[in-house]
Amino acid sequence: MKEKISALIDNDLTLDDVEYLMKAMKANQDLASSWSTYHLIGDVLRGNDLLRHDVTANVMREIAKQPTVLAPKASLNKKLNDNKPVVWSIAASVAAVFFVGLVVLKNQSLESNVGSIEIAQVLPSEYLRAHQSMSPSNAAYFIQPASFVSANYE
Amino acid sequence: MYKLMFRKYFLINLLLGFLSAASVTAFASQDDAWVLLQKASQAARELSYKGVFVYQSGTTSKSVQLTHMNSGQGEFARMVVLDGAPREVLSQGSEVVIFSPKNEKIMIEKKRGQNMFPALLPGNMDALKVSYQALINGSERIGGRDAMVVNLSPKDQMRYGYRFWVDKEFGLLLKVTTMNQRGDSLEQIGFSQLTLMEGQSLDWYKPKFDPTKSYVMDLDSPAKANTSEIDWDIAQLPSGYRKVDQVKQPVQGKALPVTQMIFSDGLASISVFIEPMAKGSKAKVGHTAVGATNFYASINEGHQVMVIGEVPEAAVTQFANSVSFKNKK
Repeated sequence: MKEKISALIDNDLTLDDVEYLMKAMKANQDLASSWSTYHLIGDVLRGNDLLRHDVTANVMREIAKQPTVLAPKASLNKKLNDNKPVVWSIAASVAAVFFVGLVVLKNQSLESNVGSIEIAQVLPSEYLRAHQSMSPSNAAYFIQPASFVSANYE
Repeated sequence: MYKLMFRKYFLINLLLGFLSAASVTAFASQDDAWVLLQKASQAARELSYKGVFVYQSGTTSKSVQLTHMNSGQGEFARMVVLDGAPREVLSQGSEVVIFSPKNEKIMIEKKRGQNMFPALLPGNMDALKVSYQALINGSERIGGRDAMVVNLSPKDQMRYGYRFWVDKEFGLLLKVTTMNQRGDSLEQIGFSQLTLMEGQSLDWYKPKFDPTKSYVMDLDSPAKANTSEIDWDIAQLPSGYRKVDQVKQPVQGKALPVTQMIFSDGLASISVFIEPMAKGSKAKVGHTAVGATNFYASINEGHQVMVIGEVPEAAVTQFANSVSFKNKK
């Protein structure tokens, strides 16, 4: 069935088969996702992936970035005057947290780092991967990526 | 300069006829060697071919199937890793798409072009002439093809030496090894079979589709870093090296992107990573090497410095020691 999807996209399918395939795709979630994957691959290779690629992940990522609203929803309906003390107290507590955080952060950065790791013992493969992905001539990036190197490294 | 030396040799020539013959040949083969490498650089991009090459580094080796076509519409290539995870790379011009299986998913990653084997050599040899000497070193048979051997020796200790095997007939690069100062091979890539392709059909230009996996775009790509937001630099670059890029790179296990500068002499490349030390994180220090890749880590003014490159230990050490911060407190 999945070969047929590929054939349909490549325009190699008879009309009868197309009708059957369309019905099957409506009924079967797996087939429907194969259909969209085929299109994703095609779009990426043609370079117009921006329109299509995994929108869900993008939207969820943006939502996750939004700050959590602490004020209860009900308060939105109240008049602005009633709201003020609540808003101010939230603002004050946020400021307090921020201030404490700042102090803690400052102290942290002054604190000397305890101990060190010899890279001869623990290979920094996360950096190796980043290096390989950017260096202008590097076969290793896709043939032998860093995660693989570190697994073999003793 | 050559001219001057040539004239000098010409004078000696008059005195010692037979000696001069040898030295003129030596000069000629320097030039010939560069011409061969230039040809190899072009052939890799202009010809249509397919074959299997083997990548060897340290104790591991992997075979890769390669199809490359230069049709009227430009350069197309597909590479499939034949051993282990079936990673695939499809490239069109400088657009590269990598498909790598990861558990139940296949990650799709888009990248800007790299010089991938056999198109390893840069288009212009001038940059290489600053740092290397080229010499033809006889001929050998590789993957069933006759090849000229060209040695590229480094002029200093800031890079490795290379040996190239160039197809006598097509000018294509058949094999390359990276060698340390003692001449030991550290890494090599070479064709085990190779044929030229006829025709213009691009039927092969698609990845193998696995319907049991879900395909996901990898969006964690590095962002260009502005010079204004970077407060450090490499004070004295070793001869031949220039900065090719600077990015903010997401590094696995780091909350914030790390600043990365990439340097290259046309063949060898070095990355320098710098980030402020985070509280509680242990400093990484010392030196290590895997295959041709050397690592050097140190702490400089409260920053973690990490240098990685396919270069000798002396080079990563020198880069790490040349980091200087603009606003010293």
